[in-house]
Amino acid sequence: MVDFNKPKSVIIAGVGGQGAITVAQLVLSAAWKSGYYVLQSEVHGMSQRGGEVNAQIIFDKVPVTSPVVTQGEADLLIGIEPLETLRYLSQMSKDANIIASSEPVINMDNYPKIEIILEKIKSVEGAVLIDTLKAAKELNNKHAGNICILGAASKFLPIDNEVWEAVIRERFESKGEEVVMSNIKAFQYGKKFTEA
Amino acid sequence: MKIDHRDMMVLGDEAVSYGAIDSGLKAAYAYPGTPSTEIVEGIQAIFKGNEQGRIASWVANEKVSYEMALGNSYVGFRSLVTMKHVGLNVAMDPFMNSALTGIQGGLVLVVADDPGMHSSQNEQDSRYLVDFAHLPCLEPSTTQEAYDYTCHAFELSEALGVPVVVRLVTRLAHSRGMIKRKEEMTPVESLGVPKAECKNDWVLVPSIARKRYRKLREKLKKMLTVSNAYNKTSLSGHKRGVVLSGMGRAYFNQLCRENPNLKEYNMLNVCAYPLSLTNLRKFIQSSEEIFVFEENYPYLEDKVRDMGQGKIVYGRRDNSIPMDGELTPLLIKNCLGIELGESKKIPEFEVPARPPKLCSGCGHVDTFKALKEALANLGIKDPRIFGDIGCYTLGVMPPFDMISTCVEMGASVGMALGAAQAGYEPAVGVIGDSTFVHSGLPTFVSFAKSNVNVNLVIMDNRITGMTGQQPTIVTDVFEKMAESFGLSPDQIHILIPLPKHHEENVKYLEKVLSQKRPDLIIFRRECIQALRKGLYKEIDKQKE
Repeated sequence: MVDFNKPKSVIIAGVGGQGAITVAQLVLSAAWKSGYYVLQSEVHGMSQRGGEVNAQIIFDKVPVTSPVVTQGEADLLIGIEPLETLRYLSQMSKDANIIASSEPVINMDNYPKIEIILEKIKSVEGAVLIDTLKAAKELNNKHAGNICILGAASKFLPIDNEVWEAVIRERFESKGEEVVMSNIKAFQYGKKFTEA
Repeated sequence: MKIDHRDMMVLGDEAVSYGAIDSGLKAAYAYPGTPSTEIVEGIQAIFKGNEQGRIASWVANEKVSYEMALGNSYVGFRSLVTMKHVGLNVAMDPFMNSALTGIQGGLVLVVADDPGMHSSQNEQDSRYLVDFAHLPCLEPSTTQEAYDYTCHAFELSEALGVPVVVRLVTRLAHSRGMIKRKEEMTPVESLGVPKAECKNDWVLVPSIARKRYRKLREKLKKMLTVSNAYNKTSLSGHKRGVVLSGMGRAYFNQLCRENPNLKEYNMLNVCAYPLSLTNLRKFIQSSEEIFVFEENYPYLEDKVRDMGQGKIVYGRRDNSIPMDGELTPLLIKNCLGIELGESKKIPEFEVPARPPKLCSGCGHVDTFKALKEALANLGIKDPRIFGDIGCYTLGVMPPFDMISTCVEMGASVGMALGAAQAGYEPAVGVIGDSTFVHSGLPTFVSFAKSNVNVNLVIMDNRITGMTGQQPTIVTDVFEKMAESFGLSPDQIHILIPLPKHHEENVKYLEKVLSQKRPDLIIFRRECIQALRKGLYKEIDKQKE
């Protein structure tokens, strides 16, 4: 089902404190546990202070040596903040898929009008916008957004559902069974956005 | 690919942590500095509760770290010292001279360069400093190599009798990848102190230093034998050749996956220094066009250009790759003339930058607000404040506009004092508690002895905030210290940066800043990030 003429590359973009690195680590472990060779690069210089954060993941059936995607050739963008999604569009290949949250993090004076940002994202071929605020309400879990987006993005990654559930479990186990289950629920909820 | 129990997914930095531990590490010392911080953090996490007499410790600064590691080596143990590139400037003195004394237990310095300046004030290339010290260096390009080379570095250090450097860059330090650990850990064992007959080798008085320096130069031949074993050359008769090191090697190897014809180029993989010029000359002769992909200054490229008169060389000097900034796969592709994949059609839109800022509720915010208002009330328009390195450097941004300089660790104290002596008043320096301990202390001695209107603001959050809230070596001692250095109690002020104290803090500062004498103003309040994580419990417990 999956064409592996070249490695698969994923970019995760967000704002410091949003959990972009956690999402990246879930993708990384899921790819690893699925038997792929995988590398991930993170940039979070002063992101603790609310700056931009991005992580890139490359995986393949043969050993990977570069943790950095060639600009303009990435396959999948997981944007957990709309302005950050726009920022990383130039990294994407022609046929790339883009899964983006519609919920802005406004911690700057010159944040553009959110309607314009969402309009721009919608105009991009292969982009799916997810109302994470609504998802959080419906799931009654204010932290559901990121995992929900990951669920939607999983359609474009050659990783089995059991592996996803296993890595989610591993990541949230220390917080108790309830947290694990609510995250698995959020993942399944997100999957619906990209079901054919 | 099968995962066995020795496979782990780790950061490049953590690969070094495991490599050091598996090599029988006794002690690791460092001052936090991006992108090297996670090495000692990694060792601390692995040791946790199972130290068995081993040490992984934050100390005052890089010079101190290096000296402690050297002392540990002197008594025969394997030791590690880690730092970011600019940290090596601070540690330069013991670094240079330890090349002459030599080592007893294996001593490994891991230095992490930051090309592109993700979180640094310059992008200096440590390979020149290693060269300057006449020491060997290993340069990994993957997490596995970061692990392997760290293990090798301890062996090499003992075999050659000198410290060995492992050079990382941000992209490797902060990349996650797989490592396979070796099957057997080396036990922690001491080789004992230097034997009586070589006891004096460590005393670098001129007569001995001259001998030791000659001895060091004599080791070059052995070092070259070692580096030659790492630096693999493959010659295919192609007219093109590539010289690769570090991330340049990682990116080029990846490009070979989609462009198999690249594998036919002549290749020189540089993984170890010093580089044999004989081998380099041979390699250069093999190709007509030579590409050099390295991070970050044109260190190898300059050697290639020097020797390759008449050859066409592509790299940074000819702007095939920009002189500054990080190397990327895209730059390499463009340099090699490889066609790029088709990229996404995207809407036109100017995406504004999202700069980092001080956390909401941070005490530094209240300090800057009070300082700004006090200076304005004193009629000082466009005040110039001597800043330092930490979260508070963000005071350069609006609405504060309260940091006018950021040069290196501790510079605020000396620059404020120098400016005050030249007649600029009130001169104000702003520094954090951890940065003050790192490099402000010696300058403070001169500060306290001065008689000019100079004011030092210590933004004291009782922790090393910016690099992830590591403990500061000492807390709550600055007032006592200032007194013992000669300031009178009325020259020492402790204020609490909270919105409810704003008015009184402004008034207080106005009075202090008008006095023609040195004043120490400590704004003391906990870092809110650390407070939320409950990190002060441990700090306060250790104080008792």
